[in-house]
Amino acid sequence: MEDMHVMTSAMSTQNDTKISARNVQVYYADNHAIKDVDVDIQDKTVTAFIGPSGCGKSTFLRCINRMNDTIDVARVEGDILLDGEDIYDRKVDPVQLRAKVGMVFQKPNPFPKSIYDNVAYGPKIHGLAKNKADLDDIVEKALRRGAIWDEVKDRLDAPGTGLSGGQQQRLCIARAIATEPEVLLMDEPCSALDPIATAQVEELIDELRRNYSVVIVTHSMQQAARVSQKTAFFHLGYLVEYDDTDTIFNRPQDNRTESYISGKIG
Amino acid sequence: MTDATAGAPAGKGSLLEEDKRTKRRNAAEARFKAYGLGAIGIAVTALLLLLGSILLNGLSSFQQAFITIEIPLPADALDQDGDGALDRVTTFTVKPILEQALIARVDELNIRPVDMSDSDIGGIISGEAPATFLDFVRNNEDLIGENAEFNILANGRIDGFLKGRVSMESAARDSNVTQDQLILTNQLIENDVIEQRFNWDFITNPDASENRPEAAGLGVAILGSLYMMIVVLVLALPVGVAASIYLEEFAPKNRFTDIIEVNIANLAAVPSIVYGILGLAIFINFAGLPQSSPLVGGLVLTLMTLPTIIIATRAALKSVPPSIRDAALGVGASKMQTVFHHVLPLAAPGILTGTIIGLAQALGETAPLLLIGMVAFVRDYPELGLEGFTDPATALPVQVYNFTQRADPAFVERASGAIITLLVFLVFMNAVAIFLRRRFERRW
Ligand SMILES: Nc1ncnc2c1ncn2[C@@H]1O[C@H](COP(=O)(O)OP(=O)(O)OP(=O)(O)O)[C@@H](O)[C@H]1O
Ligand SMILES: [Mg+2]
Repeated sequence: MEDMHVMTSAMSTQNDTKISARNVQVYYADNHAIKDVDVDIQDKTVTAFIGPSGCGKSTFLRCINRMNDTIDVARVEGDILLDGEDIYDRKVDPVQLRAKVGMVFQKPNPFPKSIYDNVAYGPKIHGLAKNKADLDDIVEKALRRGAIWDEVKDRLDAPGTGLSGGQQQRLCIARAIATEPEVLLMDEPCSALDPIATAQVEELIDELRRNYSVVIVTHSMQQAARVSQKTAFFHLGYLVEYDDTDTIFNRPQDNRTESYISGKIG
Repeated sequence: MTDATAGAPAGKGSLLEEDKRTKRRNAAEARFKAYGLGAIGIAVTALLLLLGSILLNGLSSFQQAFITIEIPLPADALDQDGDGALDRVTTFTVKPILEQALIARVDELNIRPVDMSDSDIGGIISGEAPATFLDFVRNNEDLIGENAEFNILANGRIDGFLKGRVSMESAARDSNVTQDQLILTNQLIENDVIEQRFNWDFITNPDASENRPEAAGLGVAILGSLYMMIVVLVLALPVGVAASIYLEEFAPKNRFTDIIEVNIANLAAVPSIVYGILGLAIFINFAGLPQSSPLVGGLVLTLMTLPTIIIATRAALKSVPPSIRDAALGVGASKMQTVFHHVLPLAAPGILTGTIIGLAQALGETAPLLLIGMVAFVRDYPELGLEGFTDPATALPVQVYNFTQRADPAFVERASGAIITLLVFLVFMNAVAIFLRRRFERRW
C-alpha cells in the first residue's frame, strides 16, 4: 500500500492532488453553511483549515469522509473527488470511504472498551491482521505513532475512558491511524492537550505527512504555521483564501485573511 | 415558589448576619425539605401497612394442619379382585380406611367426647384427603398389607381453629363444624396427632373447590404465569428491541415515523382491559386459538408489554452519546457494526431493566386475562413442554382475584398467600434487573 512508497521530496509543494472539491454547498436544513467551495488538497501534505468559530471548517471537513451523512438535516451539493473518484457517487459506500479517510474528532471519544480494543477495533473489522500476533504488532505500532505507547504499554487492558483527556485524544489518533487511512482528517486535535502533548501530536502529524494527506482544523495560528504546508482560510461559509502556508501568513491576498490572522476578526 | 420578586436588593451588610432575602430563601429551602420528608414518610408508611397486612393475613397459608396417624393398608379392601392391581380402587374405597384409622386412634387414646359419632370424627378429615391418600397408595404398592404413616390433610375449619380463625362461639353458628370436633381437635393436638406443618401443597397444588379451601394451591396459576412470561419474553424482547433499533438508528425522520412514534407512546397508555378485548377478538374468535391458554394470555400480554419495552429501549439507545457512534463510523464501521458492537452493549442495561419492568407489569396484570377466559376454574396442570402452552391454565393475579370471590373466610388467607407468592416473584425479577444493571453498566 502507501507505505511501500519511497519518499522522494521532503518539502515539495507540487505533490499530486489527493482530494479535489468543486462548487461544494452544504445546507443544514435552511442554513447554508458552506458556499461555493473549490479546493485541491494535495497528497503527502498537511493542509490547515483556519477561520473564526462557526465559519464551517468542521462542516467541510466532515464532507470529506461523508460524516455529514449521519446528520439528518445536512445536505451536500457539488463534487468531491478522492483520487479522481466522486465520493458522493451513488455507487460509493461511505463505509469503504471512511476506511480510506480516517478522522480524529474535536472531543476525544474513545470507545468504553480497553485501550487495546480501542486501537484493534478498526484493523479487526477491516481484516488487516492475519492473526493475534499481527494485531498486537499493529496496535503497538499505532500506539507508538500516537505518542502514547510509553504511557499505556503496561495497562493495555485498562479502559480507554479511564485515561486523561490528552491521553484519550492521542489514543483516538492511534485508533485512526491503525486502519492505515490514506487521508487523515483532524478536527482541532490539540484543543484538549497540554503543550508537551501538543508538540508530540505535531511531530506525529509531520511524520504522517510522509505517507498520508493530513487535513487539520485549528484555532491556533502558530500551530497552522508550524505543521502545515497549505492553509485554507474560511469565513462565513466561504473559502476566502487557499495558498501555501507561508503566503497566507506573510503575504495574504485578501484583506479578510489579513485581519483574521492579525487578530481583528474572529 | 419563586422569590425573584422579593423586596429590597441585598445590601452590603455584615456577612455574619443573614439578610432578609437569604433568610427567606433558607426558610423556603427548609420548608421544601420538610415536604419531601413528609411525602417519603407517607409513602413508606403506606408500603409498610400494605406489606404488614398482607404478611399478617397471608403467611399462615404456608402452614397447614395435618393429622398424622398410622394407617393400615388392608389388601382385601384395596385389591378387591385379588389380582394384585389397584384397578378398582377409588376415593370411596379409601375414605373409610382413613376414617377408621382416625377413629381407632381416637379411641385408643380414649379422648372421644361424650356422644360424638363416628361420622363426626371423620369430618375432621379434609374432603381432599382420600384423593391424596389414593395417590400415595398407588405410588407405594409395596406397603399394601402393612401400616403406613401418612399426613392426612385436616378440614379447613380445623385448620382455621389452629390459626385462630375458628372458635367455639363461631362453631356454634357454623353448620360445617361442631363444637365436639373442636374439643376433639384440642385433645388431638395435645397428643401430637394434629399439628401444623409447612405446606408445600399450597405452592404446588391446583385450585380446589369452594368448600375445600384447605386443599387450594397455586400450582396451575404459577405454571400458567410462567408459561405466559416465557411467551412474553420470547416474543416481546426481540420484537421490541428490533423495532426500537430500527426506529432509533435506521429509520428516516419523517412524518410517517413520527406517527409511529406517537402511536407507540399512546399504546403504552391504553388501559390493559382493551388488550383483553383485542385478544378475545383476534386470537380466540378470529385465529381460533384455545381459550384460557397461556399462549393466548402471553400473546395479549406481549402486545401490552411491547410499548413499554420499545420506549425503554429507545430511551436506552438515545442515552448512548452520539460521539460513540461518530467514533465507530469514523474508523469505518458500518451502521450495523456501530449499533451491534458499540451502541447496543452500552444500552444493554437499560434495555434489560426496561424488559424486566415490562415483564413484571405483565406478571401482575389481571384484567385482560379475565376476558380471554383465564379466570376459569382449572384443576389440571398444563402439560410440561410445548403442548402446555395451549392447555387451560390460570395466572397468579387471576388466582388472587378468584380466591377473593369465594365465600369461605379461609380463602382470604389463601388470597394473601397468593399475593405474597406474586410479590416474591416480582421482587426476584427486580433483583435480577438490578443485578444485570450492575453487571453490565459501564462508564463512558
Ligand atoms: N449538526 C448541525 N446541525 C445544524 N447546523 C449545524 C450543525 N453543525 C453545524 N451547524 C451550523 O453550521 C455552521 C458551521 O458550523 P461548523 O461546526 O462547521 O463551524 P466551525 O468552523 O467548525 O466552528 P468551530 O471553530 O467553533 O468548531 C454553523 O452556523 C453551525 O450552526
Ligand atoms: Mg468545529
